[in-house]
Amino acid sequence: MATSGATMPTVDERGRPAWLEGLGGQLLALLAAMGIALLAGSLITIAYGESPLTVFGAIAEFSFGDITGFGYVLANATPLIFSALAVAVCFKGGMFNIGVEGQYIVGMMTAAWGALALDFLPGPLLMFAAIGCGMLGGMAFAAVPGVLKVKTGAHEVVTTIMMNGIAVSLVAWAIAGPLRYADTGGGFNVNLRTDPFADNARIPDLGHLIGVGPSANLTWLFPAAVVTAIVVWFILRRMRLGYEARAVGASAGTAQAAGISIGGVQIKLFVLSGALAGLVGMQQLLGDKNFLPLGYEAVLGFTGIAVAFLGQNNPIGIIFAAILWGALARGETAIQIETELPREFIIILQGILIISVVVTYQMAKRRLFARQLQRAAAVEDLADAEAPGDVAAIARDDR
Amino acid sequence: MDLGDLGAAFGITLTYFTIIYLTGLGGLFSERSGIVNIGLEGMMIIGTVTGSFGAAYFTNDVGGTGWGVPWGPVMGLVLGMIAGALFAGIHALATVTFRVDHIVSGVVINLVAIGIARFLSTIFFGQATQSDSGQPHMNAIALPLLSDLPFGLGRAFEHLSPMVLVAVVLWIPATYALYRTRWGLRLRSCGENPEATASLGVRVAPLRYQGVMLSGALAGLSGAFLAVEVNLSWNEGQTQGLGFIALAALILSNWSPVRLVFAALIFGFAAAIPLRLDDAPVLRLIPDEFIRMIPYVVTIVVLAGFVGRVRPPAAAGRAYEGGGG
Amino acid sequence: METTGAGRASASPLVVFEGITKRFPGVVANDDVSLELRAGEVHALIGENGAGKSTLMHVLYGLYPPDAGRILVRGGSERIASARDAIALGIGMVHQHFVLVDPFTVTENIILGMEAGEIIDVEEEQAEVGALADSYGFQIDPSAVVEDLSVGEEQRVEILKALYRGAEILILDEPTAVLTPAEIDDLFGNLRRLRDDGKTIVFISHKLDEVLEIADRITVLRRGAVVGETTPSATSKAQLAEMMVGRPVLFRLEKPQVELGPPTLEIRELRGGRLQGLSLEVRAGEIVGVAGVEGNGQRDLADAIMGLRPLDGGSIVLDGADLAGRSTRQIRNAGVGFVSEDRHGQGLVLDMSLWENAVLGRQDDHPFSIRFGVLAIRAMKELARRLIELFDVRTRSIETTARTLSGGNQQKLILARELDTDPKLLLAAQPTRGLDVGAIEFVWHQILDQKAAGKAVLLISAELDEIYALSDRIVTLYEGRITAEYPPDAPPEEVGRGMLGDVAEAATG
Repeated sequence: MATSGATMPTVDERGRPAWLEGLGGQLLALLAAMGIALLAGSLITIAYGESPLTVFGAIAEFSFGDITGFGYVLANATPLIFSALAVAVCFKGGMFNIGVEGQYIVGMMTAAWGALALDFLPGPLLMFAAIGCGMLGGMAFAAVPGVLKVKTGAHEVVTTIMMNGIAVSLVAWAIAGPLRYADTGGGFNVNLRTDPFADNARIPDLGHLIGVGPSANLTWLFPAAVVTAIVVWFILRRMRLGYEARAVGASAGTAQAAGISIGGVQIKLFVLSGALAGLVGMQQLLGDKNFLPLGYEAVLGFTGIAVAFLGQNNPIGIIFAAILWGALARGETAIQIETELPREFIIILQGILIISVVVTYQMAKRRLFARQLQRAAAVEDLADAEAPGDVAAIARDDR
Repeated sequence: MDLGDLGAAFGITLTYFTIIYLTGLGGLFSERSGIVNIGLEGMMIIGTVTGSFGAAYFTNDVGGTGWGVPWGPVMGLVLGMIAGALFAGIHALATVTFRVDHIVSGVVINLVAIGIARFLSTIFFGQATQSDSGQPHMNAIALPLLSDLPFGLGRAFEHLSPMVLVAVVLWIPATYALYRTRWGLRLRSCGENPEATASLGVRVAPLRYQGVMLSGALAGLSGAFLAVEVNLSWNEGQTQGLGFIALAALILSNWSPVRLVFAALIFGFAAAIPLRLDDAPVLRLIPDEFIRMIPYVVTIVVLAGFVGRVRPPAAAGRAYEGGGG
Repeated sequence: METTGAGRASASPLVVFEGITKRFPGVVANDDVSLELRAGEVHALIGENGAGKSTLMHVLYGLYPPDAGRILVRGGSERIASARDAIALGIGMVHQHFVLVDPFTVTENIILGMEAGEIIDVEEEQAEVGALADSYGFQIDPSAVVEDLSVGEEQRVEILKALYRGAEILILDEPTAVLTPAEIDDLFGNLRRLRDDGKTIVFISHKLDEVLEIADRITVLRRGAVVGETTPSATSKAQLAEMMVGRPVLFRLEKPQVELGPPTLEIRELRGGRLQGLSLEVRAGEIVGVAGVEGNGQRDLADAIMGLRPLDGGSIVLDGADLAGRSTRQIRNAGVGFVSEDRHGQGLVLDMSLWENAVLGRQDDHPFSIRFGVLAIRAMKELARRLIELFDVRTRSIETTARTLSGGNQQKLILARELDTDPKLLLAAQPTRGLDVGAIEFVWHQILDQKAAGKAVLLISAELDEIYALSDRIVTLYEGRITAEYPPDAPPEEVGRGMLGDVAEAATG
């Protein structure tokens, strides 16, 4: 080219992949966020007249001090991995699935139905069938906001929240009606729940193999969750659906001009997300209780959003984020036993952590962009972009 | 002929209208300034817990200031407003100063609100998820003339919180502020084209902070109203997604304070239906649980039907890079 | 042509730039620039894209602080830290892309930030704005909503905004880029009136004919530095061009001689969006240039051909097959390559790597997809390496994001990707917008190569120079219709009439 001064090698094979480029910054951001949370947490602790060392020491001790404690942490992390993956899959496509909450409780309902209705299935087949039913339930329930978004443009944030409200009522109706505990003879029953499932519906325990006490309830679902995270990583990074999803998420207009069906990708992502959401409830349904009570453990879907942010929507990052979250949840027990702090202290700590993470990630991202632009300009001998962030250029860039 | 049930249902509609209108109006100020606010629900939650505490604290003699009714409950509402505004400051900080994606920040706001509410509740009430029931509230009033309507329709106006009356006329100052004042002109310009605003020497960031914090104040007031005047106590989860329903009403209103009155009435009526189960024989044929889905279903249907036909503020949700950052 | 203005300009400079240097990460946008603006002159600032014209004026307007040097206004050294400071000094700016609030009225746009009081009295403010417009002879309705205005009217609002703030120095950044020839005449009339009224006008442009017509003095920037100062009477277009680019510029390229084949693309009565029954035809080996003022349906035409927008009627036939109603994927597979006018919104995914961008649109095809929707990463990277080599895309690595490329290299990557499928038709919309001269030449040669290879090219451009440089046939687009057709040697004035739909006598060529 006429304007070239310095000669540059056209392609430098040692260049770091795009996804790796930001990783250092992300880690730094994560550490900064944890530092902020630790600092703020210490201040609260001191305000309560407790030593931060005692409090955080207790949390660490209970979570990582012995194998059973760590078993609790991993068991806590198991459903969170699934729900964070469900959130991340949509997020990569530029969408927000806040309906993981509703999708997973519907998934528990359909899985409970499967476990009860298909009890003729032998051996672990029943378990797999129940899990399959849970995934199908989540998929069907997630498809609704997906289709609504594509067909009508209704924003998924509001529709999924509304679907959550519908899910609560739907599951309550199922437990009070079609799936109701048969033995009560139709009379009063304070403890609304379904019949217990056959034993072969249960997900086998893993903890006893590695010395974790049975109370931790660590099942084979945890390794399954890790494998699922790797599969999701593969889908996002190595398969066409993931590639198209990331293109749609990062630039819908470009994806469309390249012939990608945006609506098709979005619906597929919602269905995939729903399938993952369907797995969220399996730990408590088939790993723990073996029946579905009306007082099931809720908000795992919402927590999944926090874990997804913490893991920066990266499937592998999510595994670690879920374990961190699981350790904090375990910390609730620790501070109740070891300190005078209310257990809600942990929720505040989690809140501060997640706000800090969101802000520090954003700052890291902006720094990365600035660095990339700088490097781009260094490669060019003359930047033909007049100035980054030209006021006027941004102004009309509104389509 | 007795339409008393309908009258009563309309009374509940007015209550829900108040919640949805206040919150929706909050969303309006935020989005008109260019910041999408899906954290309304969380801001309401903060309003519920602080409002309920404030009402009890300022009213009661024991462990409080003993100002009695109505000033105690009024102070509860004020406290809810202040807390909502401060809490919204986090959303403003994240989106305006740190330019975090508005939806991401809003989701985080909602997550965090639940935790903060629990934490505050343990301090205020000594328990995490509820206060004692039957907390102090303002005396309900009956509207003259309207409460004498025949066929029992007057029942709608017999027993209203004074806050309902405030909400009903709030569109007047809101419209005036938006369209007839310098502040309103500047706020709206931030939501439509912040670059234009900044290029004329008007600072965008302070206006957006004001929009978002005003939105938090209104959502906090709405939450406080719900806890103090409607439920007479704080309970976790009592907002029931009304913050999101208000968001849907805001979309239906095309971001207009006047049209928001009608949108909030429609959603208010949908939200009132499940509470009047016993009065409508037709509804009894359907399981309770399905009746409870009505407000959510209505919201989805309205959203799906209208979202393409309205025009949000052009810059809402878009990161603005310029101006004093 | 009027050249009297310079004489009236006073000798003492109104604004003095002393050694202004402005750096952006990795770029020196302004390098020790010294410059004087005199009261009552039209001062043209010319240079190619990236020469630093706009940056310099943004420094004057307080949008960027200079890294070195100072600005003297009326003899005093001023630190201009914000637009507010600039406004206080009587400096006003009309940006290239207008910064107007579309749903606001003309009056609201003008008074924003300068309102008379806390409460706005609409009638009074409108009367004041109306009086201001009248005093300068500007035709505008103060109560009109901006989004209903024509581009020329919007520009008048922008100028009034500055005047309302007491601007004595008016900076106009590429003011003619979006105007029709008639609107340009109006603008020049207004500018001359303002100058005669004692205002100083800075006219940023790269259109040399216009500069020679309106300017009293001309300063040329190249790569951030001043390379010369002159007056219209002392220079010529060719001289200015050489100063801008640093070497003699070819205004005409050698077009390859190709035997035209049968029609590759036939569009009949296309309707939808701004398209009001558009018909045109491109034959194999032919470049058809669509000239027109922006906003007359260019974007809709491109989107319609690519299947990106719904149609109300009409047909798009490619080699005998009707594409109307087909999906974008089918249209691409039928043999259409697409260079969008919106490089970032439709051309590239900025946050994805170069190799991921290089394969975009072909991810389904062999050899990039293996079974079960699994991608062949190695094949994708190989493709990217080949394309980058072939089109000389300057980058450190195929692993970095497309965001890290300069505009010219981004466009090269897009061209490489779109041409690699060997399309029958290349649809190129504003293919050189925002590029420097070197990159423009590259893109033009690629387009001519397509013609040489017997392919059909539909070129949509707002730059008449580009249309003339490349087209075998020129058609004009006005309000969603093709209004006329011209041979490549038709006089520009005639084509200009076609761009305005004024074709009573402009018989098709």
